[in-house]
Amino acid sequence: MTIIEVASRPSGLTARQRWSHYFVLIYGMLAVIIGFNLRTATLTATIPYSNSAAGIRAYYPQNWLLDTSDSYVFRVRDMSQTGFKTTIEVAVQPVTINTTARNLLDTLTLNRAPALSAYDVLSTNPYTLPNDRQATAMAYVFVASEANPFLESLPQVVEGLDVITIQSGQAIIVTFLSSVDTYEENLPIFERFLNDLEF
Amino acid sequence: MISNSKRIALILLFSLIWAVPTFAQTGFDLERIERATVFIMQASSVGDELIIRCVGTGTLVSRDGLILTNAHNTVRGANCPGDTLIVSLSVRTDEAPVPVYQAQIVQADDGLDLALLRITRQNDGRLVERSTLALPFVELGDSASLALDQTITIVGFPNFGDDPVDQLRGTVIGFTAEPSGGDKSWIKTGLEIPGTMSGGGAYDAQGRLIGVPTTAPVTADSPQSRCITLQDSNQDGLVNTNDVCVPVGGVINALRPSSFVRPLLRAASLELTLDTVTEFFERSTVGGTPNFSGMFFAPSVNAAGMPSSVSSSLPAGTDSLYLFFSYQDMTPETVYEMRVTIQGVENPTFSLSPVRWSGGRSGLWYIGTTGQPIPNGLYDFTLFIDGIPIDSARINVGGSSEPLPLFSDIVFGVEDIQGNLFGEGFVLPTGSTASARFIYRNLIDGAPWTAIWYFEGTEVYRESNVWSGGVEGTQTIRVQDPNGLLPGSYRLALYINNKLAALSDFTLAGAQEGAVARIFANSHFTTASTQVEAIAAAPVNNFTAGTDAIYALFDWEQIRPGTLWTMRWSIDDEVFYERTDPWSGTDSGEDYMLSLSAPGGVPDGTYRMELFINDLVFADTQARVGIGQLPIDRFAQASGIQMRGQILDAVTSEGIPGVTIVLVSADFSAAEFARDWNQDQVYALAVTDRNGRFQLDRPLQPNTPYSVVIVAMGYIPVLADGVEVAPDAGVIDVPIYLTRG
Repeated sequence: MTIIEVASRPSGLTARQRWSHYFVLIYGMLAVIIGFNLRTATLTATIPYSNSAAGIRAYYPQNWLLDTSDSYVFRVRDMSQTGFKTTIEVAVQPVTINTTARNLLDTLTLNRAPALSAYDVLSTNPYTLPNDRQATAMAYVFVASEANPFLESLPQVVEGLDVITIQSGQAIIVTFLSSVDTYEENLPIFERFLNDLEF
Repeated sequence: MISNSKRIALILLFSLIWAVPTFAQTGFDLERIERATVFIMQASSVGDELIIRCVGTGTLVSRDGLILTNAHNTVRGANCPGDTLIVSLSVRTDEAPVPVYQAQIVQADDGLDLALLRITRQNDGRLVERSTLALPFVELGDSASLALDQTITIVGFPNFGDDPVDQLRGTVIGFTAEPSGGDKSWIKTGLEIPGTMSGGGAYDAQGRLIGVPTTAPVTADSPQSRCITLQDSNQDGLVNTNDVCVPVGGVINALRPSSFVRPLLRAASLELTLDTVTEFFERSTVGGTPNFSGMFFAPSVNAAGMPSSVSSSLPAGTDSLYLFFSYQDMTPETVYEMRVTIQGVENPTFSLSPVRWSGGRSGLWYIGTTGQPIPNGLYDFTLFIDGIPIDSARINVGGSSEPLPLFSDIVFGVEDIQGNLFGEGFVLPTGSTASARFIYRNLIDGAPWTAIWYFEGTEVYRESNVWSGGVEGTQTIRVQDPNGLLPGSYRLALYINNKLAALSDFTLAGAQEGAVARIFANSHFTTASTQVEAIAAAPVNNFTAGTDAIYALFDWEQIRPGTLWTMRWSIDDEVFYERTDPWSGTDSGEDYMLSLSAPGGVPDGTYRMELFINDLVFADTQARVGIGQLPIDRFAQASGIQMRGQILDAVTSEGIPGVTIVLVSADFSAAEFARDWNQDQVYALAVTDRNGRFQLDRPLQPNTPYSVVIVAMGYIPVLADGVEVAPDAGVIDVPIYLTRG
């Protein structure tokens, strides 16, 4: 004899099941938010840098290569970029009371033109730094090529931005360089760097 | 857990330890040498076109673009009037060189025919930032330790840049001695080296540069000149004899040893500039036609470069022979040559291919050989100037030594009352008497002999007599002038039976200080903001680091214009300047001034200035700058193992462009570097090209545990520690696969 139990189909989810679904969704959303925040935190993570001789404190992007061996105060480069290595550079130059930002920009142009291919100034505009200090910004382009003549590398168009301000008898020149293809994408990194820069 | 990509990369990286050498000789990295060998064109602008005036080979001797080559094809002159130097590299060593850079001369010595160029611009005229250059280069070897029969490899361009860089392998067959460089003034090889390889490199078994193949084309107005027309320089649509002809030298058999290069390289790498501030001298000019005369042979030379005696024949088993001759009106641009035949057959071992003159304007010179067997036979020596035979002499080598009457070993000095001879041998103070002492052997009383004294080439005193001094001993003779002997160059020639038996030069200069000449005095270093202030400034022995310029001053007494004098400067006992010139000032004076400077200040070190006449030092001054020691150049080492390779996508096996490969110094781990990302921890760095190929910018040192970090956006980074290369590894070419992630 076979006994067949007949029961009616439940008409809906139990409260427990319903809450389970809600929690899954909430946890999922939380995970996405945490993940997104972690990614943002990783991408925007910075390392402090200070140079008391030059009177500069800055926060540069984590995992960028720090170089203090040349004429600049410091330079950081994103070595993970597959094209031109996005670069932020801070230099300090002594000035007289008669030196203007315009003089400095002209000097930069005169020095760069013989060394950089197709160097061209795009624009020169007033620029307001986060602390409301006034500065001058110069946008320019040039073509960068591989220094090693034994490799086959194609030249790349690079866009640059100099932000220059004069204070306490010295000019601070902050330079941002990036491939034109990634310039807009990387510009916020430079803006955050400027926001945190103290001098 | 380790990822697949990491595993593959690590396996490949660790496999470097067992890397197979690509060249049989230990330490001989032929590819690096070939890449460091450059083709140089000197050109001048005609309208909007560059016209090639001279060509030659050169060698990169520093990673930031110093090139060693000859002076005759780079320094502007009558033969090579161009003003632009174009440097072509072997981008691929199996192809002809490609023009890449322009260069400028930073150091040159016309007589030694050596020049150092520095790469300053890209070929399109853009300035080159020196710090960005990481070019393959070679290190200098020790040419003094080179021995007969040692294997050498010559690397250079076999023609006018149409063919790839080439190599010839041969042995050292001899050395040629000259006053300018002693016993090893030239290294001789039996190879027939094409003229366009002049300026290239000769390497020992370890791949170190030990010589520069050198020959100079004779001057353009000589009937013996050879040249090749390459371009339609006058733009008439034809390439013919009306166009510029590029001079070319003949076959090379002589190498200028690397020991001559070191001072130039030291000065160039430190960017030291030595200027003569004193400008009131009248520069002497050369008027006459270059000439050689009075050839004779000597079995040996003394420390002052003078013949020990005169020989007309030498016995069998001789291993030393010098040809002496007088020279007049020579210049550093004069090209001379010596051809030697033995029994009428030309002999490359003793011949010297056409080279530039490295002596003064007039005086006594020798070309010789020592320490190598000289076969028996009848030797004919012929000297050429600009391809034209000037004089010749013959000597027989062989047979037994016969006891012939002999004068030898002349030395000069000042006599005291007892007849003792004092002094320094070949430089005497001015006075009324100069004495000479010589050894005699096998003389017979009654034999006629003559002593002739010359002053600046003119006979001033002759003493002919009959010998009465016995068979052997020493004899002293003298020349006197009650009004005082004039300062200048003197010569004593001794004859037996009217046949030249001995000859020697000496110099009279300076005030008498006992038996010694006081020629230079008050030699000191100082510093000042202007040259005028430097004259009155107090002597300084310790300078602060970064001093803009150091001034050297000295006074001088009784030096006749034309007297050869040598100035030598060294830093930390390494010579960076040495030059012998005819004195071109007044007889006596004060405050001869020189300035030593460098961009960014004179480098730290211990500096020394020495002044010589006839190889005798008459002033020696020393001073320290900063810590008194040169800083270490961490990029100076060219030896090591080159690492290059290709970064590939693990799935597609296609090269990945723009990948960064960092070789971390042995003091840091990959994890430490990945945490700090600091340039100070980087040993070498490379970025891949469009094919994913890379080349590290510094050679790896064997048995050193490096770490490697490889990063590229879109790929899983690779970190590895303990990467070592074996000492016998050649060039390492390694593929590394990255996985997308």
